[in-house]
Amino acid sequence: MTTSTVTAQAPAKASGKAAAPGPDRLRRRRRLAQWGFVAPAVVFMLLFFGYPLVRNVVMSFQHYTPETFFTGEAPFNGADNWSNVFQDALFSKALWHTLVFTAGSLLGQFCIGLALAVFFTRRFPLGGVLRSLILLPWLVPMVVSGIVWRRILDQDTGVLNSFLDALGLGGHTPWLTSPGMALLSVILVNIWIGIPFNMVILYGGLQEIPKELYEAASLDGASAWRTFRSITLPMLRPVITVVLVLGFMSTVKILDLILALTDGGPADATQTLGTLTYQNSFVQLDFGAGAVVGNVLILVSAVFAVLYLRANRTEGK
Amino acid sequence: MASPTPTTSRRRWGSTLAGALILCVMLFPLYWMLNTALQPASGLLQVDPVPGSLDLSGFSKALDDQGGHLLTSLVVSLGAVAICLAIAAPAAYGLARFGLRGSRTIVFGTLITQMVPGIVIANALYNSYVDLGLVNSYFGLMLADASLGIPFSIVLMRSFMVSIPGEVIEAAQMDGAGPVRTFVRVVLPMSRNALITSGLFAFLFSWSDFMFALTLNTTDDVKPVTLGIYQYIGAHVGDWGSVMAASVLSAVPAAILLVLAQKYIAAGITGGSVK
Amino acid sequence: MAPLAAVSVLAVGAALTGCAQQRDNDVYTVMNSSTDETYHRWDAQAMARCGKQLGVTIEQQSVPAAQVMTKALRMASSKSLPDIVQFDASEMPTFAEAGGLVDLEALGLSTRDIPEGIVDFGSYEGTYYGAARSVNTLALFYNKDILDQAGVAVPTTWDELREAAKKLTRGKRYGLALSAGGAEDGVFQFTPFMWSNGGDETRLDSPRVVEALDYWKALLADGSLSKSTVNWTQADVNDQFMAGNAAMMINGPWQVETLNTKKSLRWGIAQIPVPEAGAESVGPLGGAVLTVPNTGDEERERTAGRIVACLSSEKEQLTYALNSWMVPANAKAAAVWRERVPELDALADQVAAARSRTAKLGAGWSGVSLALQSAFQSALTGQSSEAALKRAQQRATSGN
Repeated sequence: MTTSTVTAQAPAKASGKAAAPGPDRLRRRRRLAQWGFVAPAVVFMLLFFGYPLVRNVVMSFQHYTPETFFTGEAPFNGADNWSNVFQDALFSKALWHTLVFTAGSLLGQFCIGLALAVFFTRRFPLGGVLRSLILLPWLVPMVVSGIVWRRILDQDTGVLNSFLDALGLGGHTPWLTSPGMALLSVILVNIWIGIPFNMVILYGGLQEIPKELYEAASLDGASAWRTFRSITLPMLRPVITVVLVLGFMSTVKILDLILALTDGGPADATQTLGTLTYQNSFVQLDFGAGAVVGNVLILVSAVFAVLYLRANRTEGK
Repeated sequence: MASPTPTTSRRRWGSTLAGALILCVMLFPLYWMLNTALQPASGLLQVDPVPGSLDLSGFSKALDDQGGHLLTSLVVSLGAVAICLAIAAPAAYGLARFGLRGSRTIVFGTLITQMVPGIVIANALYNSYVDLGLVNSYFGLMLADASLGIPFSIVLMRSFMVSIPGEVIEAAQMDGAGPVRTFVRVVLPMSRNALITSGLFAFLFSWSDFMFALTLNTTDDVKPVTLGIYQYIGAHVGDWGSVMAASVLSAVPAAILLVLAQKYIAAGITGGSVK
Repeated sequence: MAPLAAVSVLAVGAALTGCAQQRDNDVYTVMNSSTDETYHRWDAQAMARCGKQLGVTIEQQSVPAAQVMTKALRMASSKSLPDIVQFDASEMPTFAEAGGLVDLEALGLSTRDIPEGIVDFGSYEGTYYGAARSVNTLALFYNKDILDQAGVAVPTTWDELREAAKKLTRGKRYGLALSAGGAEDGVFQFTPFMWSNGGDETRLDSPRVVEALDYWKALLADGSLSKSTVNWTQADVNDQFMAGNAAMMINGPWQVETLNTKKSLRWGIAQIPVPEAGAESVGPLGGAVLTVPNTGDEERERTAGRIVACLSSEKEQLTYALNSWMVPANAKAAAVWRERVPELDALADQVAAARSRTAKLGAGWSGVSLALQSAFQSALTGQSSEAALKRAQQRATSGN
């Protein structure tokens, strides 16, 4: 993502500098001091991410039951958990929902976020104020957003349906109560939550594009759309990569929003890998199965990240 | 710059109008939250579009019940920000500047951390926390919440620090400053925007954390507001006025912070993501 | 940076002083799900009385109901279990099966004066692990004013209920509200329909269960139930009823406290209607039981047993039941309670015939419950009851 340019130049600088003083011991001491900067973060990440990750992988091969909490014994059971999970009809359903949810959310968040970011690069009265106010939804804890939206989307008493009714647009949409609609509604809410994040970062990226490029384009008489396609998008590519990769990783594992809105229902229509991990582990108390689903979740993220970064790199060249 | 002609001025105000419209749509759910909070007596089901009178009883009840939890959230989040910056800033500098072998792997590792679901982390942490006596402690929750912001902050600040001109740092070293001194005296002040942006992100991540608060506490000693609201909507409570009031209150501190930090954010992220 | 650093120093200071939690000799902890302010207070008062009587201090830790089991398991693995845990009775078998509970009779608790059904309710495989203070079940709540106005009598059979609900549905008001949400709430509400019709959780695809589900579908098709039913918890149902959006509801006595906050609401309570006149109305037995977890410290376990005995004594049961509107578990206390709260008579009758969800399946209930949730949600949103329940039965048997 952001590594290639840096690592290429940094070692050269470091070695050029090291040549001057001389003795090996001095150099080693300095290396050690330099590692001192990085080590705390590495240790922290190993403890808070590496250890849970490894433990989760091990757990997915264990027969982990409520009894385990007392005895501490969780016998290895080969691939039993894995085959059980894969045979569960709910799993493939949840996997599909996860992909739809993630793709839909990202598409919506990104397009609207980008449109708003471009919009706010214009100079107009109160622009700055409006731009910062639009970040507000982001500040609301997700549990809270879920609660509020659940009320707004209620089929009979929700304000959205009352509003549609007043406009003569029906107003009996079963947002969260029909299996056909629920996933879409959850995606819409998640788009709402994600717009500010996308907008902030993309706006930052837009600010960085040299103004001269646009001036040159307008002198050439390029249309707004052409300018956007041939200047804005290419210049924005690194930022877009960051937004999409981070967005994917946080969206794919979402749990609390769905629990607050639908609890995975109705009829499992909004069950995702995230909610399935939760359900297996904390409702069924089958921690082995929960760990399997958690691992699949991580795997999906990893595959996406690798594919995307690779595609982006080759295209960028 | 020449003063705008009437047509461009009208077009500018047109943009303002469009912006305001967009804002209305985006903020409607929040307005509805506030609106419901101001009508505690209405029985949630018939909420008027505009509160008829100003009934603050929902707020006073919410403040009574959740005031302490808000404070807890504030303390925990600020602590998490401090830990996050203290760990991430040096690491970002080290990864950006020292050309250490394995830097790339570490940066890639920060990316991988983002893939691990919170529930997996919380599950594994609990036992270690018990052994270390960190369960039910402010410090324990701060550490866990800091983990939400650290990877992001490292990536953000590292990219920012890469763009600091090498001459500036070399000049400091010529003056005989060691790496620590260079970092504190030169690099940190120059990275102010990135520091503030990272801090804000870390604060927001921690502020909205629910998973760690739920799993790493067994008593009510350390209860942030997200957990407080969650318990508010228990099986027997139908007091939506207070629930919504508490929700509004939960957004206020973060909003204040955002307004204060607003002007640094764009600048912080710009440096961060482009390089 | 400076103010940040100052705050963090303060915070770390708070952490060092605020977190000490060790087992004090005379301090005993009870973990329950009384997160509501009122319930928390009632429990605190009861604990204070018992503590005084036994010369110990009793502390209360309240966590959300859905979290009690996971919290308790985590605490078991870290050897930091509280002295007493109050489990929902449907969850207790899971903890007992894992070997986590102490036999209450071995600690000297007696089951005298407790009806057999309620002893079973607190037992797993014949051992008495959980002492109930009160029990509850579901009943039909109705809005007296709406029924009077429409001239509708309180229904007692399924046909009458369907007819009445249809008549009472007007404009934005539904005839009946119930919870068919995708959680234990919904399953709890389905059981009286399933059981009263002769259905059984061991064979979800039997015609009796299909009929019960078809009955729910019919109510929905009539328009007497809101389509949001599948998204409602029992608390949501109560909100609807209180706001006048439903003329009747299926709910439990724990809502009475909230119902009574709306003075203008005149409500009545009746047994849940049955398929045919004269059939018995079988509801689910609900409620929590006090258990003593297996901590290995026999001395403390014995005292914990005495605390449980005190909290579930006849006197405390009556106080708790009168506060919470639930029915005392103890037969003598229940008799007194009936006299004192005549308006809930229907509930006492329903409890007497109520059935425990885990009596047949024990720890296997949670899997069946999940399968059943999914089935009635599918059926209520379009599928045929038969197909949905057939799949549920397959899922339930393969899952265990």
